[in-house]
Amino acid sequence: MIKRQVLQGNIIVAKAAIDAKCDFFAGYPITPSSEIAQYMSRELPKLGKDFIQMEDEIASLGACIGAALSGRKVLTATSGPGFSLMQEHLGMAVMAEIPLVIVNVMRGGPSTGMPTKPSQADIMQARWGTHGDHPIIALYPAFAEQLYFETIRAFNLSEKFWNPVIILLDEVIAKAHEDLTIPRKKDISVYWEKTKKIEDLNIYDRKIGQNPPRVDFFKGYPIHIDGLEHDKHGWPTTDPDTVQKMQTLRMQKIYHYLDEIVKFEEYEMDDAEIMLFSFGVSARSALAAVEMARAEGIRAGLFQALTIWPFPKKALAERFRRVKKVLTVELNMGQAKYEIERVAPDDVDKRALLRANGVPFTPAEVLAAIKEFPR
Amino acid sequence: MRDYERYIRYRTFPTPWCPGCGDGTILKSIAMAFAELKYDADDIVVVAGIGCSGRIPTFFNTNTLHTTHGRALTFATGIKLAQPDKHVIVISGDGDALAIGGNHLIHAARRNIGIKMILINNGIYGMTGGQVSPLTPQKFFTETTPYGNIEPRFDVVDLLVAAKASFVARETVNRLIPLKQVIKKSFQHRGFSVVEVISNCHINLGRKNRMKNPIDMTRWIATKTVTQPEYDKLDPEARRHKYPVGVFVEDKERLEYTDLYYQHIVPAAKAEAEREAARRAGRKK
Amino acid sequence: MEKFEQDLNEEALARRRKKEPSRKKNNLTVVRVYCKGCGLCVDICPTGTLMLEDNHESKYGVSVRVDAPDHCIGCKQCELRCPDFAIFVNYDKNEEEP
Repeated sequence: MIKRQVLQGNIIVAKAAIDAKCDFFAGYPITPSSEIAQYMSRELPKLGKDFIQMEDEIASLGACIGAALSGRKVLTATSGPGFSLMQEHLGMAVMAEIPLVIVNVMRGGPSTGMPTKPSQADIMQARWGTHGDHPIIALYPAFAEQLYFETIRAFNLSEKFWNPVIILLDEVIAKAHEDLTIPRKKDISVYWEKTKKIEDLNIYDRKIGQNPPRVDFFKGYPIHIDGLEHDKHGWPTTDPDTVQKMQTLRMQKIYHYLDEIVKFEEYEMDDAEIMLFSFGVSARSALAAVEMARAEGIRAGLFQALTIWPFPKKALAERFRRVKKVLTVELNMGQAKYEIERVAPDDVDKRALLRANGVPFTPAEVLAAIKEFPR
Repeated sequence: MRDYERYIRYRTFPTPWCPGCGDGTILKSIAMAFAELKYDADDIVVVAGIGCSGRIPTFFNTNTLHTTHGRALTFATGIKLAQPDKHVIVISGDGDALAIGGNHLIHAARRNIGIKMILINNGIYGMTGGQVSPLTPQKFFTETTPYGNIEPRFDVVDLLVAAKASFVARETVNRLIPLKQVIKKSFQHRGFSVVEVISNCHINLGRKNRMKNPIDMTRWIATKTVTQPEYDKLDPEARRHKYPVGVFVEDKERLEYTDLYYQHIVPAAKAEAEREAARRAGRKK
Repeated sequence: MEKFEQDLNEEALARRRKKEPSRKKNNLTVVRVYCKGCGLCVDICPTGTLMLEDNHESKYGVSVRVDAPDHCIGCKQCELRCPDFAIFVNYDKNEEEP
């Protein structure tokens, strides 16, 4: 029986996580993401799985990584200040190639900021928050169905590419109640590669474009996992050739698969003259503005990025051959707009509608910005 | 081959520590405890943080995890929760356990999660060059206390007793058989157990405090070591300078965290799930 | 050798002179490549069987030497103490694991 329910954004993400066979949650409460932890604390024990509230966000990611290495699919949820605390362990998960999913519900920042107001100001932090050269995947769904399916896709991507995946939300879509038809189990595909028996310590040995099955502790051969830079056995090393090879492999394991990872939605883009580039709560206002503009005869279209990182550079470059006006709509002081400026050629008129006061844009405001483009 | 050599990864030898460092002795004591308890090497995971003690897991032929500074207990919590019947050992130094990791120590003790912790107390931050630590005795000279240390040291046993840990013990690297036996006893304890081992860092702490070779420093540790009955006879001023050894707390009654989780939370949740299913079935009629 | 190493050797000799050679024969195996010459085994041996000697092949400059093998009483304190797995008492390579 297909169920249609009215659900809060946070709960949609949590339900999708459980449907993706997530079986471990370690977190710390923070507005506006506490509902995910609360839902997991009720539902995971019903399945005999593990939930624990740790003493801080750093401990939460630590416990998640430990559980991921012991054969679990892990999730944690936080917001701005907690996300800043998690950066060190996020880097460790990238270095040791551990799958995990982190939900960051963006709120007013920096520091304590405005816990009950939205922003989209963690876009750059999601890419560069942790130190060192690291690839990252960050997904940003906006509508109820996207919240569900992108969460499942986040787990699949993290399992397939042995990398942490960040799900970005903002306070509005996380807290808003919407109706959603929960798909049937057979309509969802969950990627879950059971660890094969490990024969030796060669756990990171592979070529570009080839991802071996994941490794866990307690699977027949004692392995070593390290946050130090290591060779293909996991031993710490500083040998220049080995290190450069490992750095390249870690980057290439994501960038070789861009076509599979990068995803976006387009509305009315076939004959658009003005492209709106947006995501999250701003994309919802932008979509309504596009429809209002079309009613007035302005040929506007919306490009909603579902993957913020890796940035959808190739898809945008294709559109910029035809479209010469772009408006970035984001609820911050300017972050994604710099990526657009980097990607778009010089003959494109690049503008941005920015605000960082915790009030999402209304469709009328976005329409006014669309109309500022010269005809 | 000795039975404890089965747990040693000889291919990573020789060890990186200074000649005479207590870390090697502790590595051997733990391996001997594994051998006497006949653990399967793949059922063990040894987790450590950053520092000279953080290099110990590399030499164990078991599953090993080298984590970030001070957070080894959090990784171990995740592993223990995910695989409750495996043996999870945490090896920690001064800073990892009491400075940056102090918070995680008291919470692990409070939860009584079945992690076995070996806390190596050498009174200094060795790997980074000899800076003061929360366990450096007062008046000692270090790289960041060139005029003498004015901060008193933690008493690890008192701290853990206050955090309601269920097994607390202390030994030194001089007392080899008692060290192995107390480590073995701590592994057999079901809840959270901590063994503090007083060790020597003669290169970084000893050199600035007139004990620059391992013999002088281990002899100094021996003068500071007292048994518990002797300690009770001392007055408070003399007590500050001594390290009593032995087992201080052994509470076998307290339930371990994962036992509590599976005995209390999971059945309650499953009962709730059944009630919900019954309600839904009732509504359909 | 530094002064404390020479002192160690003298103390070991002094302990040895107080005792007769051991009645039971025990053999000591030294893994010289692992020995860092720290001197802890020399200090702990109750019968002064071990001493330190100069070793120019080792980067530490000193290594342990079994100076009086017939004084070894097989107490195994050196093997328990050694941080580098460099000395074993009555070690049998072919010994089956228990």
